[in-house]
Amino acid sequence: MSALKRKRGGKGPGGKAKKVKLVENGNEPRNTETDQNKEISVPAPVSMGKWRNKERVLVFSSRGIDYRTRHLMQDLRTMMPHTKADTKMDRKDKLFVINEVCEIKNCNKCIFFEAKKKQDLYMWFANVPHGPSAKFLVQNVHTLAELKMTGNCLKGSRPLLSFDPQFDKEPHYALLKELFIQTFSTPQYHPRSQPFVDHVFTFTITDNRIWFRNYQIIEEDASMVEIGPRFVLNLIKIFQGSFGGPTLFENPHFESPNTRRRVIRMATASRLGERQMVKELQKLKRTENKEVVTRDVTDDVFVTPAEERPVHIELEAPAAKVVKKNKHKAFKRQRMQKR
Amino acid sequence: MILVNKTMDINEDDEQLGETSEEDDSELSDGELQDAFAKGLLKPGLNFTTQEPKKIVNNVEGLKQCLADFRKNTLPWVERLDMVNLPADDIVAKSEGRLDNKASGDLNPDDDFQREMFFYRQAQAAVLEAMPRLLKLKIATKRPEDYFAEMAKSDQQMQKIRKKLIMKQTMMEKSEKAKKLREQRKYGKKVQVEVIQKRQKEKKAMMFAVKKYQKGMTDKLDFLEGDQKTAKGGAPAKGGAGKTAGGQTPDKKATNKKGPNAKRKYKDQRFGFGGKKSGSKWNTKDSHNDVSGFRAKVAHGKGGKGGKGGKAGPGGKGGRGPAKGGAKRPGKNARKKMKGRS
Repeated sequence: MSALKRKRGGKGPGGKAKKVKLVENGNEPRNTETDQNKEISVPAPVSMGKWRNKERVLVFSSRGIDYRTRHLMQDLRTMMPHTKADTKMDRKDKLFVINEVCEIKNCNKCIFFEAKKKQDLYMWFANVPHGPSAKFLVQNVHTLAELKMTGNCLKGSRPLLSFDPQFDKEPHYALLKELFIQTFSTPQYHPRSQPFVDHVFTFTITDNRIWFRNYQIIEEDASMVEIGPRFVLNLIKIFQGSFGGPTLFENPHFESPNTRRRVIRMATASRLGERQMVKELQKLKRTENKEVVTRDVTDDVFVTPAEERPVHIELEAPAAKVVKKNKHKAFKRQRMQKR
Repeated sequence: MILVNKTMDINEDDEQLGETSEEDDSELSDGELQDAFAKGLLKPGLNFTTQEPKKIVNNVEGLKQCLADFRKNTLPWVERLDMVNLPADDIVAKSEGRLDNKASGDLNPDDDFQREMFFYRQAQAAVLEAMPRLLKLKIATKRPEDYFAEMAKSDQQMQKIRKKLIMKQTMMEKSEKAKKLREQRKYGKKVQVEVIQKRQKEKKAMMFAVKKYQKGMTDKLDFLEGDQKTAKGGAPAKGGAGKTAGGQTPDKKATNKKGPNAKRKYKDQRFGFGGKKSGSKWNTKDSHNDVSGFRAKVAHGKGGKGGKGGKAGPGGKGGRGPAKGGAKRPGKNARKKMKGRS
């Protein structure tokens, strides 16, 4: 297939074969003969010889990815018809091996998913032979299969890319923008692409992260529904070479997930440690020898500046108060006394 | 000897230097410190080894150079389809009069709804801007109705989504209905209770009036008609007996007068107010001499001569007579004469 494509003139049989293949997948045959009878002329999906922008992206991953990452990869392949897949890369190989893999597959861009500790997902975007590459930490992944995303689009239709104005302000963002444009935009007249533009990719910068969303265009007046997938990219580094080379940019706001976990653990540990310390201090205080105070500091609290009255010692008991309820008792006592 | 010692010392020093520099236990070995001190880099006093502040690489020149090399300037816009835009106007916020903060820097990433709306509006603005450009380039954005092609999500998936949405909607509707029903029931219950209470009050008032009449405290039976009078005009009815039964509607006037009245009265008389019913009428000297039940008006006024005190007592049957239109039945002879004439 690729050999046929390289030939400039030899698109005829290859093109038709393409068409048949697509039909087998369950489409209605888009025959050019019937088009002439219909009023609405359907543009031919493959304009022979017009596909010039030969952009191919290799999408693959390392070992140890979880189901969500796998689905995300599949979704990216669905959304971008100019992608190719490859088997999982072994972890012991160094990263520059990827360059060779891409060369074998005749790809000039690469999206590589790297999963570490079965928890963190890193994503590499690279322009393979010489160009820059960038490493991101991926968060908040939602795939196409989620039921809350109700939109749908043609498989392989060309996307519209929308960028935040902040992408033009910083040089590193400008470089990233160029990288995204070249990676995500489907070449025109790509054999697997559909001629309609019916969805939009948006890239927005908020909170020092890049948020990716995919919307379906329903009406011409720009009413939209989200298709998915969606994810958040946290830039780590930009390298001058592909999967290597000198670092061009390092994100100062990036906090590696390990550091984050460590910080959390240390916070909890310090809290516990503090509690322990407090307890020990209390114990020490209790066992301390307490000094005997000879003079009571609070002695003169009740000293009021008034004359001293002569101490009157009552020899006779005071008259008992007659309580009505306890009448009998009072009287009895008195009676007893009187006796 | 001294020389040897010195040289020996020097050799020892060298060895020590060599060893300590290989140990690498601390950041700087003693020998190195000595060297630095000799050179004048260290000052006397306590010196700490601090870490250098981490240098964050931001090679702006390198980035720009790389971008210039990497950029594909030969690609026309139609191949890339990229737009840079601020989000579209937020209609809702404008209508509420809130400040429209368009920059993404102001966005609070934790406020989910606001954030997603921001992204949505950005996409909207992009589409609105791109539409005319695409039209010029003759690229369609809407696919024709009969264009069937494979979609990104399978039909099965779309069905699942639809089902879920429908389920959500029905659940909401059900809960709304249940709430309304509960409210209605509460309200209905309230109304019912009120109506019952009103009826009981009416009954009580009626009984009271009847009792009073029975006991002879009032000789007017206005309380029966009192409801209708209050329903019609209002005030003057009160003057009659001083008691008015609860407000009955004028519609019920006719039916109340005739049907249940007689039966009810009879039953009340027989079964109401407790007490001994059977042995109440005895023909004794006292009852014979008792003329309290005699109403002269009734006795002489009505056509049918029922005798002295013959008119029925507390039921107030007499009340019916004059209200019937005032016509008194002529005597037998008078009727015969009339018959002959007609």
